[in-house]
Amino acid sequence: MSTRTRLLGGALVAFLALSGAARADTISFADAVSTLANDCGSDIKKFCKGLNLGSGRIQNCLESHAPKVSPTCTSTLASVTTSIEQRLAAQSSFTAMCKHYVAQFCSGVVGEGNILSCLNKATRVNEGQCGQAIIDAGWR
Amino acid sequence: MKSFRLATMLAAGLLLAPGHSFAQELSGPQVVRTLGRLQGGAPGIDIALLMEEAAASAGKGVAALPDWQKLSKLSQLIVEIDFENDSIAIEPKSYRTVGMIADALHHPNLRRYKFLVVGHTSSTGDAKHNLDLSQKRANAITEALSTTFAIAPDRLFAIGVGEEWLVDPSNPQAADNRRVQLVNLGLVK
Repeated sequence: MSTRTRLLGGALVAFLALSGAARADTISFADAVSTLANDCGSDIKKFCKGLNLGSGRIQNCLESHAPKVSPTCTSTLASVTTSIEQRLAAQSSFTAMCKHYVAQFCSGVVGEGNILSCLNKATRVNEGQCGQAIIDAGWR
Repeated sequence: MKSFRLATMLAAGLLLAPGHSFAQELSGPQVVRTLGRLQGGAPGIDIALLMEEAAASAGKGVAALPDWQKLSKLSQLIVEIDFENDSIAIEPKSYRTVGMIADALHHPNLRRYKFLVVGHTSSTGDAKHNLDLSQKRANAITEALSTTFAIAPDRLFAIGVGEEWLVDPSNPQAADNRRVQLVNLGLVK
């Protein structure tokens, strides 16, 4: 391994340590909305009857009834919303975060799905921003 | 867990097999694999034509129509998503299923593909009303997927077929007939 690669790796790890400090692990969309259903289901049935999950309707409804909604639901709503955003952000950043590893380990591999499985087989990709992006995206 | 019942049907004709039990729980990776099994190119599906045929066939069935038959040859997943009675509001207990579809559709193996969400009802009530309601429910699911879970809207199409394609024709009022079918329509152009 060249010195340049090692330095780059070190820089990535340092950056990750800084950026990772404020970030919790993401959970799957299925788990996120399951938590919402468990913690807010009765408030949704009570205050948001007939409203749907899409276009922020449930979120807006629960927020507009905040004084009456259970504290657990209010806190779950915030954490679920954040988790969904973080996972979406990680998925969007995959290509950029993993560009160097793709060039190094998976050049010539065609298709995003094939590239992901190639990266997941290259064990070194457990490290750094690329590995973290794959984990946060829910793809490992 | 009934609200999380997921089922796969890959072979043509299974949709019509009465009493066939396909209830099983699937993992996320299984959902991705199931929806990603494209054998060759997906045949051209004309959604406007399917809608016209469903509207013209209210109360008479669409399962035997050639355009609808094409759908059964595509990679697909059948899920149960419960709604409030006579409403487009997804029951909270079914949020998980919508989230699981979102997880699958965001996976790199499936991000190239577009999908058709088909809403089905049992035959309880008026056929025309069921057709309208199933279309609105399919729209509600695609809206949740594209807004709450940021799936690109050009990857999602919704169609309601009401009670016209029963999974259990010998028992048209059975709850099993209420279901959502997710069909892989092939590459996004």
